[in-house]
Amino acid sequence: MKEVLVLGGGIAGIQAALDLAEQGVRVHLVERAPSLGGRMAQLDKTFPTNDCSTCILSPKMVDCARHPNIVLHTCSELQAVAGEAGAFQVRVLQHPRYVDEERCTGCGECALKCPRKVPDAFNLGLSQRRAIYLYFPQAVPLVMTIDPAQCTYLLRGKCGLCRQVCPAGAIDFEQQDRELTLEVGAIIVATGYDFYDPTPLSQYGYRRYPNVITALEFERLISASGPTGGHLRRPSDGRPARRIGFVQCTGSRHVRHNRYCSTVCCVHSTKEAVLAWEHDPETRSYIFYTDLRGSGKGFREYMDRAAREYQVTFVHGRVAQIVEEDDHNPVIKYEEAATSRPQRMTVDLAVLATSLVPARDAPRVAEILGIELDEFGFVRVDPFAPTDTSRPGVLACGCCLGPADIPQSVAQASAAAARAAEWVLG
Amino acid sequence: MDDLPKIIAFACNWCSYAGADLAGVSRIQYPPSTRVIRVMCSGRVSPMFILEALRAGADGVLVTGCHPGDCHYLSGNEKAVHNIELARSLLALLGIEPERLRLEWISAAEGARFAQVVKEFTEQIRQLGANKLQAAGDRQP
Amino acid sequence: MRQARDRAEETDESPRIGVFVCHCGHNIAGYLDVPALVESARALPGVVWAGDSLFTCSDAGLAEIRAAIVQHRLNRVVVASCTPRTHEPLFQAACEEAGLNRYLFELVNIRDQCSWVHMNDRELATAKARDLIRMGVARAALLEPLSETELPVQPEAAIIGGGMAGLTAALSLARRGFAVTLIEREPELGGILRHLDKLYPTMVDARELVARRVAEVREQANIEVLTSATVQAVKGYIGHYELTVRSRQFGLEMDLPVRAGVIIVATGAQEFKPFGLFGYGDDPRVLTQQELERLLAESNLQSPISNLVMIQCVGARDETHPYCGRICCLTAMKNAMRLKQQNPQTEVYLLYRDIEVHGTHFEDYYAQARDLGVIFTRYTPDAPPQVADGRVLVYDELLGMRLSIPYDLLVLSTPLVPAAGVHELARLLKVPVDEHGFFLEAHVKLRPLDFATDGIYLCGSAHWPAHLDEAISQALGAAARATTILSREQVRSSGAVARVEESLCRGCERCAQACEFGAIEFVELERAGVLLYRSGPSLSQKIARVNPVLCKGCGACAVVCPTGALQASHFTSRQVTTMIQAAMGH
Repeated sequence: MKEVLVLGGGIAGIQAALDLAEQGVRVHLVERAPSLGGRMAQLDKTFPTNDCSTCILSPKMVDCARHPNIVLHTCSELQAVAGEAGAFQVRVLQHPRYVDEERCTGCGECALKCPRKVPDAFNLGLSQRRAIYLYFPQAVPLVMTIDPAQCTYLLRGKCGLCRQVCPAGAIDFEQQDRELTLEVGAIIVATGYDFYDPTPLSQYGYRRYPNVITALEFERLISASGPTGGHLRRPSDGRPARRIGFVQCTGSRHVRHNRYCSTVCCVHSTKEAVLAWEHDPETRSYIFYTDLRGSGKGFREYMDRAAREYQVTFVHGRVAQIVEEDDHNPVIKYEEAATSRPQRMTVDLAVLATSLVPARDAPRVAEILGIELDEFGFVRVDPFAPTDTSRPGVLACGCCLGPADIPQSVAQASAAAARAAEWVLG
Repeated sequence: MDDLPKIIAFACNWCSYAGADLAGVSRIQYPPSTRVIRVMCSGRVSPMFILEALRAGADGVLVTGCHPGDCHYLSGNEKAVHNIELARSLLALLGIEPERLRLEWISAAEGARFAQVVKEFTEQIRQLGANKLQAAGDRQP
Repeated sequence: MRQARDRAEETDESPRIGVFVCHCGHNIAGYLDVPALVESARALPGVVWAGDSLFTCSDAGLAEIRAAIVQHRLNRVVVASCTPRTHEPLFQAACEEAGLNRYLFELVNIRDQCSWVHMNDRELATAKARDLIRMGVARAALLEPLSETELPVQPEAAIIGGGMAGLTAALSLARRGFAVTLIEREPELGGILRHLDKLYPTMVDARELVARRVAEVREQANIEVLTSATVQAVKGYIGHYELTVRSRQFGLEMDLPVRAGVIIVATGAQEFKPFGLFGYGDDPRVLTQQELERLLAESNLQSPISNLVMIQCVGARDETHPYCGRICCLTAMKNAMRLKQQNPQTEVYLLYRDIEVHGTHFEDYYAQARDLGVIFTRYTPDAPPQVADGRVLVYDELLGMRLSIPYDLLVLSTPLVPAAGVHELARLLKVPVDEHGFFLEAHVKLRPLDFATDGIYLCGSAHWPAHLDEAISQALGAAARATTILSREQVRSSGAVARVEESLCRGCERCAQACEFGAIEFVELERAGVLLYRSGPSLSQKIARVNPVLCKGCGACAVVCPTGALQASHFTSRQVTTMIQAAMGH
């Protein structure tokens, strides 16, 4: 049969879906969140060109939504897989949005009136959203969603203001879970990654010291459409952060945490430092590294330019500890490699470049799919057929295979599409 | 309000027009001075269009496009820089204040920036006063 | 300056414009005087029908539009509502369903760029909306029905380069049933892997792997292999390429025509030979990594070797090649470990700047090398290693002292650099290369395997130094990209492409210079009449011709055309200037 399931609506899933759809294959693109976009939607700019992430992502999301061969299943999760390559039966569970996708125009009147404010997960809790919300401004589909864990009406039968004010009559509190059974010839896994939570690394003071943040939190702060409108303000007092310390390998290359290298952090910290300078040329950034890695196209020149033109200093030295001084200023204690002596640097803001780890429900998904994970929890693939998982007919691409940059994920996605097409069209 | 200038704004489909839309989605308010003409690329904006706008009586012309490196058509925005420079030198010859022409890079994520640019430019044009060609009655019929 | 005339004027039918103003629930109607907008629209020239609707984009709203087109014989439709970026295709489809060409539709943005951003001044906001609708109607009157050109696709691929990337792409396409011509310049297939020994991290034998892949390719009936073959000329465009390939395969030199719908570039790269650095080329003990591998593969190492020193980043991360070679640290470690396994007595020193081992598995590989006793010493660019009297002198930061290491063999890790002949091939294909000579893709992030020119794709080290699994992924990816075209019978262009009014063209070629997509060609046309810029009796002149499938509709050509011969359909100069006039109330 000429249908394929793509699990995951980030850039890898989107690319794979489009490549297949363009060949006449019907694609079921299943995404857990209320919108496509994945991690790329949370980034401000992408290295090494510093182009605006949502700007280059949006047209692809819209293409997916509009493509006659792509069926979007957002708010949906994989439940079961049976069958074999060429003929899988897949069960997908669609959670209710409580909003009619056909009627909702995304105008946002409901959110303006909703009285319930909750932490916004898209902005990593750095801002608030309402119980009825749009996942992010360029969401695809551009449809509101009600959070059943926070909605007063769904929890206690009170309120329902959104339903009163919606001009399109799109609110539907009666929506239920929907189960779908799909028959597909191949499955592409593109479930992406999570970031390591550095709280257990107590030596860095994450969650103890307000001005120690993670790289993704930095991205949200520096994003024009983020919680502070793109102004890099310290969480403790809202003052601009002008002296920034980036701690590389937070959780990575560590025997007790993640042994592997997360590949992209040296370059993304560089990027974040560059963006900070572009916002405020008074900014001085210090990137503490053990090995400075960047071998993708244009990456090394990008980092060299950052050092030359953007007041970025690369400090060779592993950070042992972060403590706090007056005013919640983080103090980075590190061993200077050149002298082997301990040093300290006080900064306004410390950014932890945390490991990229497998998505939190990767083991469950792998079990449902019947595929093997490697020792780190990433999807195991054949080194000579690098998008083939251990199960024939199930392909994988993007960061579910391991940390990768966007060009790699996109190339892998096309590769997975080629292999999937062989199962359904070959 | 009689002193609200009229500004012809060119916006490119992929970046600045989307940025303008985002300002709307975010409900960011700005003065109703602009009349936006959507083009596919800022590189489409010919110096002729700019002169035409001013000749027709517009108080200002705003050309917006993608940031350098982001152009959907690779380097259309670089061509825009060239075209706007040409137009600016023509304005000088015609005795029109070159500040009536402005080029801005606005990405699809910069809704607030679009609004800010419109606010600033509107105020700037207000200070300059009405387009002299219009005031002299020399309007294109 | 004469302008090309819009076709709407040439038809007998004058515009019959229908205007639909949307309330969008409360979103527009709450801030603008919609009835007044309908009234003023009705009075505009060319408008024969005007009305409003609660939600124009709803099923009911679209049905109203379709009915009105039929009932009032509308030949242009204007909807004043939200943004064309999301809703234009929806309304265009509705128009088409009612028998109206989709390009005769105009969407006026009175929500995202009006009612939503001027919520506190109903009068001025309505005045702006009135202007915007007048602009939309004026433009609509000048819109033309446009057709989307279809060109047939030849379901064959030409792959330039027969290394692992090219072989992988060929197999993927062949398994899908497409005919492939694989063009390899060397007498043998296999590329750089023919010169390697073992491959990290699996330590599989390189030549065995290649031999297997080559055998698979040779077994495929629909892959034609041309070895000792080079591309001499390339003509055509997506769906319809014609290459001329010079082959010396059978001892005779022949020029063969190869037809293809798509081309994949998989020409690989070569190892930089660092003549003049560290004694390379003078001292026979100084080798590159590939040369070392040759010795390892042929078991030709003259033992005993007491000390072997490897220096990383030779000719990389410097002025000659500012980039990092990506694969060299792993290659060095691989060879170092091979050596240690074969001769545990040999001391192997690896002098590095940064250890470039990214990804999940390579960190363990590095740990393995350290465990086997390879000695890693870091150096900084301001204190690079020096070679004198058979010794390498280097300052070890960790120990805080200068080392003087005698070497029996000195192995230099150099980056991959572009293959020979890259610029020539790029010229033939009309594709760009970057400042290093690697081919330049359409978009570094989102289109790493495409060229800006449609129908040509890229994979492997021709793009950038790649690990083997990356080269394979990219090759499969390029094959997928190619099949999005090959699997179709035709490729379609947008209707909103550039168009040439041939009577006005004088062949100055400024348009072609402005075009980044290679969409404009020049053809000789016989002309009757005298041409101002020609002397002599010849009456033929070259005229611009736009390939609608390659044209992206950016309009850059229209700006530079001195006669107005070149127009950007759907965004013609007249359409734009009429909007300017309408904006100012004319």
